[in-house]
Amino acid sequence: MTTTLEQAKTAAIPQGGGLHRRLNMATAMIGGIVFAWLFWYLAHHFLDATSRTYSDQVAASLTIGWIVGFWLGIGAFVAPLRWLIGRDNTRADDLYLAGQGQGTSRYWKFTTDHKVVGVQYIIMTMVLLGAGGILAMAIRTELIVPGNHFVNQQVYNGFIAVHGMLMILALIVMVAGPWGNFVMPIMCGARDMAFPRLNALSLWTLVGAAGLLLTTLAVGSLTMGWVVLAPIADQAGVGMDFFAMAIIVFTVSTTVAGVNTICTILTMRTKGMTLARLPIFVWGVMIAAALGIYAFPFFSLVEAQTLMDRTFSTSFFVANAGGTGWLQANLFWLMGHPEVYVILLPAVGALFEIAAVMSRKPVFSYRTAVAGMTGLAGLSILVWAHHMFTTGWAPTLGGPFMLTTELISIPTGLFFLVLIGTLWRGNIWMKLPTIWMFGFIANFIIAGVTGIYLSDIPLDDQLHGTMFVTAHFHYVFVGSVLFGAVSALAFWYPKVTGRFLNEFMGRISFWLTFIGVQVTFLAMFASGLRGMPRRYSSYAFIFEHTNFMTTIGAYTIMAGMLVLLGAVITSWNKGEPAGPNPWHANSLEWMVPTPPPLENFEVLPVITEDPYNYGEELVRS
Amino acid sequence: MSTSTNKKSLKGMLWTWAALTVVGVIIGLYAPAWIMPKSMSNNMHLTILTMVVFTVAAAPVAAGVYASALFALARWTHKGDDVPSAGPAVRENAMVVTTWLVVSTILTVFLLIWGLGALAVDNGSTGKNPLVVDVTGQQWVWSFSYPGTHVSSPDLYLPLNREVEFRVTALDVTHGFWIANMGVQVDANVGTITTIHTTPDKLGVFDIRCTQFCGLNHAFMVTVGHVVTAQQFTSWLASQPQRA
Amino acid sequence: MSIDTHSELDAHGAHDGGHHEPPEVVDGRQRMGIWLFIGGDMIGLAALLFTYLYLRGVDSGGHWMSMWGYTGHPYSYYYNILDVKGGSIPNPKLIHVGTLSAGLNWLVTILTVVSAGIVWAAERGLRATKNAKSYSSMAAVATAVTLVAVVFTVIQLRHIPPIFSAHEDSLTMAYTAYDSTMMAIVGSTLIHLIILAFLGLGLTIRSARGAINGTKWYQARLVRFFWVWVAVASVIISAVTTTINTIH
Repeated sequence: MTTTLEQAKTAAIPQGGGLHRRLNMATAMIGGIVFAWLFWYLAHHFLDATSRTYSDQVAASLTIGWIVGFWLGIGAFVAPLRWLIGRDNTRADDLYLAGQGQGTSRYWKFTTDHKVVGVQYIIMTMVLLGAGGILAMAIRTELIVPGNHFVNQQVYNGFIAVHGMLMILALIVMVAGPWGNFVMPIMCGARDMAFPRLNALSLWTLVGAAGLLLTTLAVGSLTMGWVVLAPIADQAGVGMDFFAMAIIVFTVSTTVAGVNTICTILTMRTKGMTLARLPIFVWGVMIAAALGIYAFPFFSLVEAQTLMDRTFSTSFFVANAGGTGWLQANLFWLMGHPEVYVILLPAVGALFEIAAVMSRKPVFSYRTAVAGMTGLAGLSILVWAHHMFTTGWAPTLGGPFMLTTELISIPTGLFFLVLIGTLWRGNIWMKLPTIWMFGFIANFIIAGVTGIYLSDIPLDDQLHGTMFVTAHFHYVFVGSVLFGAVSALAFWYPKVTGRFLNEFMGRISFWLTFIGVQVTFLAMFASGLRGMPRRYSSYAFIFEHTNFMTTIGAYTIMAGMLVLLGAVITSWNKGEPAGPNPWHANSLEWMVPTPPPLENFEVLPVITEDPYNYGEELVRS
Repeated sequence: MSTSTNKKSLKGMLWTWAALTVVGVIIGLYAPAWIMPKSMSNNMHLTILTMVVFTVAAAPVAAGVYASALFALARWTHKGDDVPSAGPAVRENAMVVTTWLVVSTILTVFLLIWGLGALAVDNGSTGKNPLVVDVTGQQWVWSFSYPGTHVSSPDLYLPLNREVEFRVTALDVTHGFWIANMGVQVDANVGTITTIHTTPDKLGVFDIRCTQFCGLNHAFMVTVGHVVTAQQFTSWLASQPQRA
Repeated sequence: MSIDTHSELDAHGAHDGGHHEPPEVVDGRQRMGIWLFIGGDMIGLAALLFTYLYLRGVDSGGHWMSMWGYTGHPYSYYYNILDVKGGSIPNPKLIHVGTLSAGLNWLVTILTVVSAGIVWAAERGLRATKNAKSYSSMAAVATAVTLVAVVFTVIQLRHIPPIFSAHEDSLTMAYTAYDSTMMAIVGSTLIHLIILAFLGLGLTIRSARGAINGTKWYQARLVRFFWVWVAVASVIISAVTTTINTIH
């Protein structure tokens, strides 16, 4: 079996490529830094230094310089400029851009091949998750005993803001990034994404945004929480400007990726791949992408307004000049709630797929699964004010928003029905993907039930802003989405590398993480119920036992994640060989060789039925 | 697999479900009152009651999912290293889907009715001569003033069994005014007044904590409040320095 | 999944990965893409107008169009009083700001609509007469009109009046809620117009060099979709901001 690397080496490097031949991540970093310095220098010298907002204006200029330089250095502007002057890519240019014959170096370039982008997303997800995880450990270490021992409050406040946003970024791309790029086009029977260059653009824009976000802590003074609360964000230091710009850039990345995903699914399917025959994972990715296109404009606008308040002295969130913090809350949660399902739906879709393959049965009630995901997406745009029940904004709307929020439990309940229904009477193949899927089922129930408490306003009046809420959404994100994402990783890892993810290490990782999640977040529920508010850098002695448990649990999760990281790294080249179709599944990504060649198919396949015909051939033949 | 073993094993699942439900109900009945702060107001009674009712209502559902997942694990796990053969090609079961939808809708409607009813009770003011307290949050202290008395104090004193109307605002950034023992919480916003009502019904002290992130000393923005008898309250008011 | 791998029927009849698919296939895909981007942009406009109408609706502190402070002098003027001359600054006054020039607002809108009309007419002409030369010159005119609109937008932005207020020993500059939202809206218009100018320039050059011609005109239509949307958005913005602004 040839590995991806060998295959790429054997192919000749095409003639085209133009300027792209000289550009890669190193030139992008250099471009980013040079332009950041240039913009800083210009702002520093030409702006009014007596202005109250001078330092923020300089910082914002620097961030714009960084992203412009990064885009220039990676080659994002080559295609628009070539379009402008009417010099469209030749076939050789396209092949060069797709990374033909360039070995591992293509992973550090503006490469358009969706499989390269998928692997780049795997790396980005791990970087973001790792950085956010380190901050989580720092937070829990600070909270292991009452009092401020490890870091001071200022630094701690920065940790909670950056931990939150890094993890949100990581979660948004965690399933849709790697697998929405690597396997989704093959599942549809496409040779690449609809817009391969936009695909590379979204990945590298994410890298640029992550670069900004990772530097915020060094720049410092982030006193606003990950939700960028107004008006306190006005008090934060220049790190806030980096933070807001990182988010604005990130929304560009996700919007471009969302458009690309939907166009791929709706227009690139091969002959016979009707929407009713689509693998269910593709539905999850598509619905999430559509929801993202709806949600992220609110995100970039609210961050732009925060930035304008800080740099141009506007008054969007300043009460004594006609603004209000409730505007920030509204815009943020108009984005923030749909975003939860942008994160959740790809993971759920992947789990439906995995449940079917691993229990050797069709997805139970495919229509219900699609309807559940669509219904959830539709409802999610109508529930944002449940994040604002205790802000005092529009108390009369409490009833309607409680209604929409509690309706969410109906489509969410359908997910359990589909998962359990698919497993029911199957021959369940207990491999790593299946194990992590059972972890998802166990945790998602707790996440759902605690969500019901928070949807009820009288109860929310007690629990809002406490560790109970924190524990609830960590059960959603860590307990559920992360478990779904690891399940997906274990499931499709053999398609990327040709090797299984180490089963033994994966199981150790599962048990550490699973037990760690229960200890960490059940204890956190107790802290919240006892009355400990969120975002506390220290706490009263009545909370010390539960916090100690939470910290111990968090270390356990970290141990689990490190074992998983070890499994991913060691299995990449040394794992047990898997062959092209290790799970004996029927969807298209398993029909192509491993690793899939450039452009995936020799001849585009023609589809005559959906991939869930387990047990049906027997009946027919 | 024969029908009889199927029935037998389903029985096992039912027992698991029943046992887990009982565990959930017991947790629901006792855990909230055990873990949560002691109740000092009508709102907090309602809060704890809602917590109990919701947990008890959710117990059979969660137990059902756990029992079926555990049952699937125990009963249908493939043994051996070979590739499992295909399971039964069941794609739809309209009965199951409909039942599930109906049950979850009924549960949701129950939650809604309970929630809307509780909301009406929770937010309502009895209108019987409430004591008005102006609450002001700033980084990182609370201050309380009693309109009509010229008293402004960093401590909160409340008379027993008299409705209180808190009018909450902030000077610098948004704070969260929360009395953990009374089940009431509202943000203190700059330039706006938000209102909450509660009736303390137990003597004692309670903590007021800030629930909205407000910067450096957010964790230390804690104030102690007191519920005292009406006479004690009057004499406390009289003992305070009067401000113009 | 049953796959007919021996089929002669490659879905696109080509082995080159769809890079040389028929133009109508590429066109259909890119049309969907541009409409999705426009959809996202519509949400962005909705969010901007939500901000505008929300802040006007709540009129927080009665400060939708007013603020305590000073106006009419450059920022450094007060610094001279305070720091150099050691004087004291007068008491702040409640300053009411006026609405931005409705005429300028509508002028930009009309220019955008006109440029959209030119692009649309040019495309119709191209499809009817196959004359790429005249298309190119019309696209150039549309681009020029857009650039004029850019200039007026910048003028509008520069006429948003700051108000100065004193805080203890320092002076700060601020904008009222109305001016803040207008800054966001006009700024968003500016970004859109710059994108249009880029696209217009591209159409001009591409049609002059033959990359857009009487048979290959789908990109002209894609750009036109976006152009018309920006014009429509501009009309919506002007209509809202010039009729719903002051509070009586």
